[in-house]
Amino acid sequence: MDLIEYYRAPTSLEEAADILRAGNVTVLAGGTDLMPQAQAGRMHFQPVLMNVRRVPELRGIAEEGGAVRIGALVTITELLESALVRERLGMLWQACDHFASDQIRNAATVGGNLCNASPAGDTLVPLLALNARVVLASKPNGTLHTRRVPLAEFLLGPGRTCRGPAELLAAVEVPLPPAGFAGEFYKHGTRPGLDIAAISIAAGARRDGALLRDVRVAFGAVAPTPIRAPRAEAALEGHPPDAATLEAAVQAALAEIHPISDLRASDWYRRELIHNMLKRVLAHVCQL
Amino acid sequence: MNETLIGKRIPKMDAPDKASGKTRYIQDLEMPGALHAKILRSTQVHARILSIDTRAAKALAGVHAVITAADVPWQRPIGVGKDHLPLKTDRVRSLRDEIAAVAADSEAIAEAALKLIRVEYEPLPVVATTLAALAPGAPLIHPEPRGADSGEHLKTAGTPVAFAGKPDNIAMTFDYAQGDVVQGEAESDVVIEDVFRLHYVTHCCMGVSGVIAEFDPGGNLLLYSNTQVPFLHKREFADLLGIDPGRIRIIQPPIGGGFGSKLDIYPFEPIAIFLAKITKRPVKLVFTREEEFVASPTRQPVLLKLRSGCRKDGTLTFRAVETVHDNGAYTSWGATTPFVMMQTISSLYRVPHCKYHTKAVYTNNPYAGSFRGYGNLQATFAVEAHMDKLAAAVGMDGLAFRLKNAQDPGEITPQGMHFKTCGFKQCLTTAAGRSDFLRKQADNRARWNDAGPVKRGIGMASMLHVGGGAKIYPSDGCGTILKIDDFAHVTLITGASEIGQGSETVLSQLVCEELGLPMSAVTVVNNDTDITPWDVGVHASRTTFIAGNSAIGAARKAKKKILDAASAKTGRKTDELGLAGGFITSNSGEKLFELAKFLRSLHFSDKADLVMTTFYYEPPSRHQDKQFKGDVSAAYAWATQVCEVEVDTQTGIVRLLKVTGAHDVGRVLNRLGIEGQIEGGIVMGQGYAITENLMVENGVMRNPNFRDYKLVTAPEIPEMDISFIETMDGEGPQGAKGVGEAPAICIAAAVANAIHNATGVRITALPFTPENVYRALNGASEPPVWSAAA
Amino acid sequence: MSANCDIAFTLNGVKRELSVPAGMSALAMLRERLGLTGTKYGCGEGECGACTILVDGMSVNSCLVFAADCDGRELVTIEGVVQSEAGERLRSAFVASGAVQCGFCTPGLMVQASHLIERHPGADETAIRRGIEGNLCRCTGYRKIIDAISAAAHEKLRSP
Repeated sequence: MDLIEYYRAPTSLEEAADILRAGNVTVLAGGTDLMPQAQAGRMHFQPVLMNVRRVPELRGIAEEGGAVRIGALVTITELLESALVRERLGMLWQACDHFASDQIRNAATVGGNLCNASPAGDTLVPLLALNARVVLASKPNGTLHTRRVPLAEFLLGPGRTCRGPAELLAAVEVPLPPAGFAGEFYKHGTRPGLDIAAISIAAGARRDGALLRDVRVAFGAVAPTPIRAPRAEAALEGHPPDAATLEAAVQAALAEIHPISDLRASDWYRRELIHNMLKRVLAHVCQL
Repeated sequence: MNETLIGKRIPKMDAPDKASGKTRYIQDLEMPGALHAKILRSTQVHARILSIDTRAAKALAGVHAVITAADVPWQRPIGVGKDHLPLKTDRVRSLRDEIAAVAADSEAIAEAALKLIRVEYEPLPVVATTLAALAPGAPLIHPEPRGADSGEHLKTAGTPVAFAGKPDNIAMTFDYAQGDVVQGEAESDVVIEDVFRLHYVTHCCMGVSGVIAEFDPGGNLLLYSNTQVPFLHKREFADLLGIDPGRIRIIQPPIGGGFGSKLDIYPFEPIAIFLAKITKRPVKLVFTREEEFVASPTRQPVLLKLRSGCRKDGTLTFRAVETVHDNGAYTSWGATTPFVMMQTISSLYRVPHCKYHTKAVYTNNPYAGSFRGYGNLQATFAVEAHMDKLAAAVGMDGLAFRLKNAQDPGEITPQGMHFKTCGFKQCLTTAAGRSDFLRKQADNRARWNDAGPVKRGIGMASMLHVGGGAKIYPSDGCGTILKIDDFAHVTLITGASEIGQGSETVLSQLVCEELGLPMSAVTVVNNDTDITPWDVGVHASRTTFIAGNSAIGAARKAKKKILDAASAKTGRKTDELGLAGGFITSNSGEKLFELAKFLRSLHFSDKADLVMTTFYYEPPSRHQDKQFKGDVSAAYAWATQVCEVEVDTQTGIVRLLKVTGAHDVGRVLNRLGIEGQIEGGIVMGQGYAITENLMVENGVMRNPNFRDYKLVTAPEIPEMDISFIETMDGEGPQGAKGVGEAPAICIAAAVANAIHNATGVRITALPFTPENVYRALNGASEPPVWSAAA
Repeated sequence: MSANCDIAFTLNGVKRELSVPAGMSALAMLRERLGLTGTKYGCGEGECGACTILVDGMSVNSCLVFAADCDGRELVTIEGVVQSEAGERLRSAFVASGAVQCGFCTPGLMVQASHLIERHPGADETAIRRGIEGNLCRCTGYRKIIDAISAAAHEKLRSP
């Protein structure tokens, strides 16, 4: 482990932002990614370790102006226990249900999951499908400043985000899907949880008579970041959910993904899974 | 009247402490003044060591010693093949090879010191497969030694020379034959041949490996070790150090899992001993989990070609097997799994003609050790696949075909195994009956072309394993010392080690049954070679049988002594008396004397005697002869398991829904304990079949962690229906036979048959992970190909 | 070595004060600094659950918790769990059900089970299986562990 010279535990967002502005900070939230990565030498501590778990502004789940604001420190367990999330953000709730283990869910935060930016990040895939945006806080000129970035622009690559070194991820805002929207999250694995997805899918839509509207399709573990599949969405949007439409959507999706072969799966198998399971997920969703 | 303890559900005696977190495992023991040791392992798979610079490491504050092979010129090779020097001299042969070791004031300092050691390597070509190892001109893993490896400097009186090297990469070969397979094939109406590939898995004991070594001022060694064979290792460590074995004491702390992983000496224990000797301080060495994966032996991976046949009436005629065992860089028990495999090939079901050949081949891969089942999983996987295929070929159902060839009590196999008790047929009919096997099998087959991606399958497999010890060492015995104090409290001093399987509980149960005392009256003393009599060790599912008979022997001697004294006192004959409920009784149950009072009167009388007895039990089995023939165990055990699976053909995910098992265990002693062993074995078999895959590529282990090496978790376990067939073995303690390994052995074979029943596809390679299964179902996999140079 | 942090926290009901390196895990603090060896090292990366403790009433893998983050918190380890009446009943259930073999995973499972029962009294088989999915056991096959937790959970439902 590296030399940590200072340990800080700020108790307000402003204090946290001040510390960040001074530079050379590693942010600690739940620790469920930070600790194993540091032990394995996959990341190195900066001289300042800043524990944000005592910053109250980073907590809470609330509906505000047509969106659900989820504080960065909200744990996966808190998301699972939120009626608001379960009822209105079903895809996100399902992803949380497949997340690691109870012990990890109790500590892991949505902010940490976002900043870890894994290509297979469980919460990231449904958040992407739900058009989420992250709220980044900083104090560039002595006053607290926030900016909002769509999640698709926030995630740059494996482990990389557009969060600046003086910025703290304060919250994620998830616009409520339109009434009648039904979505499903699928994660490939042999276990309910405690698995890193070989592929994951978040897909949803609402019915407008015989046609599909507000179609969202997102994938995990088939590209350097979780991705939306705009061509698959276009193949479904405004169409009836019949066999031909589903097949067209799946073929479009296959053209949009760039899976790699690694020790968890080969690229060939990932493509087969997207083909088979996107159809299955869409078929489930379209029945609702 | 005292109710019998046999067959009851008796909680494990050490469970309360374990559930409170009070039990101290090797990792929890702190010796005053102990140093902490860490090992520097090779970063190359195959390389010459050009230089090792330890100066910076030695200079680090808190470091007491940094050693390499140069510091221990007297070290000797260890392991089953004696081809393995603890600290490597001129070359490394696998990625876990031990090059240097540090003893320091703390683990953190020791780890920091490791980082300061500079090693210069000259890479050598990596031999990553047995095919490459057998190719003409292949690099030799153990060439004739030069330099420090040659042992020239070790040649003092009685010192064995370091491993003499080999002209090729063949570590060991095994050959077995019964009858004449050519004749057998000629008599067959159906002949089939397949190649099977069995993969790397590893023990994953929840407690990582550790050892504490301490020399006293007189040069006597105290070793805290989780060895499963303490008395054998006492001798081996003595040879290693060139001292009298009497000067070594091994204490086995409670163990965090064994499963056969601790039946050989691995470099970390001698290295800790070397450091203790050099620093003159106690030295504690504990693995990290990654080290546990990388540096522990695996299960033996096997490439197996099976050719077998039967007549059209369903009788088996012959089996011809060739295997290639990837021996890895050094030889441990994995190479000797043929001992068990040939038993299965020759004697699981009645087969008159049989031929078996194994080549164990050196490579730069991890080496295999002994692991619960010890080759039997691999052999059974092949045999039971062929039982299904042969049955189908002659138009018989799988149950009838198996029953036709299953042995009966009293049979002696051509290999010389005498099946005095044999519940094989009952196992088959019970498991098939309770699982509704035939109807479901037919039903599933009828649904092959149904719409819907999820298919159900049911498959059956049986196993045969030793159940009364295994006479592979000079002795297969166990000693017991028993004393009863003035308060009728029994101290049972047994050579048998407790490794979490519940031996201390079942031994107490057997003794209490003889002496008519409650379980609370017994204290078991074990796991200390200075105190307990000899036992060969925990392997081959032998402990209940052998240590049980030993404990019963000592208890019966005590009982006789007590009843003889009571006879003298009462004038009744000894055989008219008994022990029950803490009393000396008449045969009609009349309470004559309270046992404790009687013992005190014996002690404080003119006779002034205590009850102290001993008994050494050696089972009536025989060593195999040079042709591997002989009745190697005093009893044999069978099980049939029926596995029901669900296969999602769009993902390849196989879920094990239910296991219906029938086990011939002789007799159920501790019902709670035996259920626990079977449930645990089933889930271990499930892991072997479906979820566990140690990925080794070019000598590198790609997933040495729990994130990507998948043990079965609680949500995945199947429903389990377990029946016991009690054949009441005449030699077994209260009729019991050994069961420790049995439940893990035929799960993979049954799952393979179940996947075939679900999909029509026979997969002959493990594991049945989703991508592997999906590829097989879609014609996108390469089935194993037989490749072994003649 | 890295900077030290002065922390004050409650451990098994007792106030403690300690100075710990900033990078130290709670697991290392418990085992090496406080001599509580009931909490086990299984993997060090949150995959096995052998190190499970309660922090502010929630079960977590102590190998992933920074010791410094324990400041101001309430920690309960296996040693504390078995001191309570509920923990004692759970322990009896584990023993009576045959849920302990080598016992190495048992403390982590006991702590996780106590948390599970507290939050879901009367939890059914499915909930229990999911509740312990983060605890690996190599010996028992989980069957009797599930039975033990089920017995204790139903006892809690009958007599909270």
